[in-house]
Amino acid sequence: MAGSALKRLMAEYKQLTLNPPEGIVAGPVNEDNFFEWEALITGPEDTCFEGGVFPARLTFPSDYPLSPPKMKFSCDIFHPNIYADGRVCISILHAPGDDPMGYESSAERWSPVQSVEKILLSVVSMLAEPNDESAANVDAAKTWREDREKFNDIAHSTVRKSIGL
Amino acid sequence: MPVVLIERIPLPSLRTYTSISLALLACALYYAHNTALNPANLVISVPESKSADLPNELSSTQSNNTENVSFLGAASLLIPETLINMAYCCLFLIGKGVQKAVFGELRVSERQHMKDKFWNFVFYKFILVFGVLNVQEIEEVVCWCAWFSVLCLLHLLAELSKDRFEYLSFSPTTPVWSHFKVITLLVLIQVTSVSLLAMCGYIGVYYTGLDTFAFMIAECFLLMIKTLYVLVRYAIHLWDINHNGVWENRSTYIYHTELVFELCALSVDFVHHVHMLIWGNILLSMASLVICMQLRFLSSEFKRRIRRHKNYLRVLQSMEAKFPMATKDDLDSNNDDCAVCWEKMDTARKLPCGHLFHNACLRSWLEQDASCPTCRTSLNDLQPNPSSPEVPPPSRQHTPPPPPSPTTDQVPTAQNIMTNHSFHFDGSRYVSWLPSFSLEVHHPRNVATAASAASHSSLLDNMARQVREVFPNMPLSVILDDLRVTRSLEMTIENIIIGRVSAPPVSVIDQE
Repeated sequence: MAGSALKRLMAEYKQLTLNPPEGIVAGPVNEDNFFEWEALITGPEDTCFEGGVFPARLTFPSDYPLSPPKMKFSCDIFHPNIYADGRVCISILHAPGDDPMGYESSAERWSPVQSVEKILLSVVSMLAEPNDESAANVDAAKTWREDREKFNDIAHSTVRKSIGL
Repeated sequence: MPVVLIERIPLPSLRTYTSISLALLACALYYAHNTALNPANLVISVPESKSADLPNELSSTQSNNTENVSFLGAASLLIPETLINMAYCCLFLIGKGVQKAVFGELRVSERQHMKDKFWNFVFYKFILVFGVLNVQEIEEVVCWCAWFSVLCLLHLLAELSKDRFEYLSFSPTTPVWSHFKVITLLVLIQVTSVSLLAMCGYIGVYYTGLDTFAFMIAECFLLMIKTLYVLVRYAIHLWDINHNGVWENRSTYIYHTELVFELCALSVDFVHHVHMLIWGNILLSMASLVICMQLRFLSSEFKRRIRRHKNYLRVLQSMEAKFPMATKDDLDSNNDDCAVCWEKMDTARKLPCGHLFHNACLRSWLEQDASCPTCRTSLNDLQPNPSSPEVPPPSRQHTPPPPPSPTTDQVPTAQNIMTNHSFHFDGSRYVSWLPSFSLEVHHPRNVATAASAASHSSLLDNMARQVREVFPNMPLSVILDDLRVTRSLEMTIENIIIGRVSAPPVSVIDQE
């Protein structure tokens, strides 16, 4: 299976370098292994994450695009939909069929027409609008809901840390 | 678990082992030389001939026994035993050398994989030699050990090549040289295993019985199957990379190669183990327990593979029956790439929703989910008419629940009895302080059916039924739709009361 996955990933990489979407950079960590990508995501404007640059790792399975990749932020980020260890919890990264929480309809989940670009764009919109209904980080969800000021403060400090201040 | 135990034992590094072996060999030679010259010079203790491998250990104890009987016997035994040790040492060195030359530094996962494989192999062969064959003679033990050591080395190298092939296929820029090295090694292993096959044929016919021959040949076959599999996969991969354009049937080829080789390996292994069990006549022993467990594992693997193949055939069949190949006009008007592999479509299948995909791409997706990748229209057999979503989901939902059991108020979800088991206990119906609870068991095995059921899980179904008890005139589908949005019993009931949710025209209302 790895052959078709490789071709597809190469095509996606080419497309991402030719017309990069705004605020997103992504590509293989090294050319020897196309199944391990690094992505840089800038915090969306007019949100508490504005100005930050957040690095993340994408790990692709060998039957990609039939199964979704895994995505993990490699910096600290306090957000309702990101686990404390950096793993991103959004519905399009979940394979259809398994739905442990019973929150998502299968229409929102992974399908082979999704792509790295679409994943990263959904992550950007997730940063802009956290979904506190299916929280991965309960603390963050609670803070976001009840004490927005504190949440913004924490987010600002993450932003400062992410650009090395 | 044997691995954990064994890892605690400190094994000497290869360098120390080699130097100890060399020193031992030198001592033995010197000793033999001395004995030959001067028979009076015999009283030398031999405790230092301790080394890591099994036959040596065994033969050294034996040599100690014989030493008491005859000094001259000891002198003649000492040399073969050191020679065996030396042979092992050479084997290790060869293995290490090949690994350095072909693979270079091993990756962490490869090293771990090798270690597991090695101890697994040692464990099962130990069972075979001492549990099944029940070898008593020291010479025989040595022979079997030598045979399995060579096989083990080849097996490990084949495994390593397989791992490395998978890794190399992750990159488009692998130099030709590293492909060449791995392929050469694989061919060498293949040639060696063929010659081993010939050798054990010779031994089987002239020296030992048919049974021993069968034991030996099974191992050879397993090795050959494994190497051949990697070679075929390699050929497919290289062909795929070096040829331009779309190779649509690639995944079909890969699938069938995988299927044939996997089934071959499993059946050879299975027959091999059954043979062991029957031949050894050891129904009541630890060895038979181990073999039975292995048999169980092999048969379940076999069944799993067959099940997957059946699923594959089912998907293939229904795909051919339901989705026609796209016509030339369809392809022309589409002028887009296949959404799964992002490559150009020369031939394609058309789904009822109008989306086009490569035959192979669509098949591999349908194996795990029955919906259109682009628009998510369900393509399930249960919903032959996906264009009218207003029709309430399959009629099975409306079948009355099975009669309640005598002790509890059991409401099993009628939908998908096969995949979900739910148990709901409504205690307050009997005594006000009794709790209510529901228990649900999911079987997400069958992905296709589970996915089709996911949109209305049994929990939702249960809630819908409760709402229905309050409003018997409401169609179940409307209630389900609203519940999917609100996810709460009270809110849906409120919505219905307010009139936010209303029953559609009479024709759709289903009377039960």
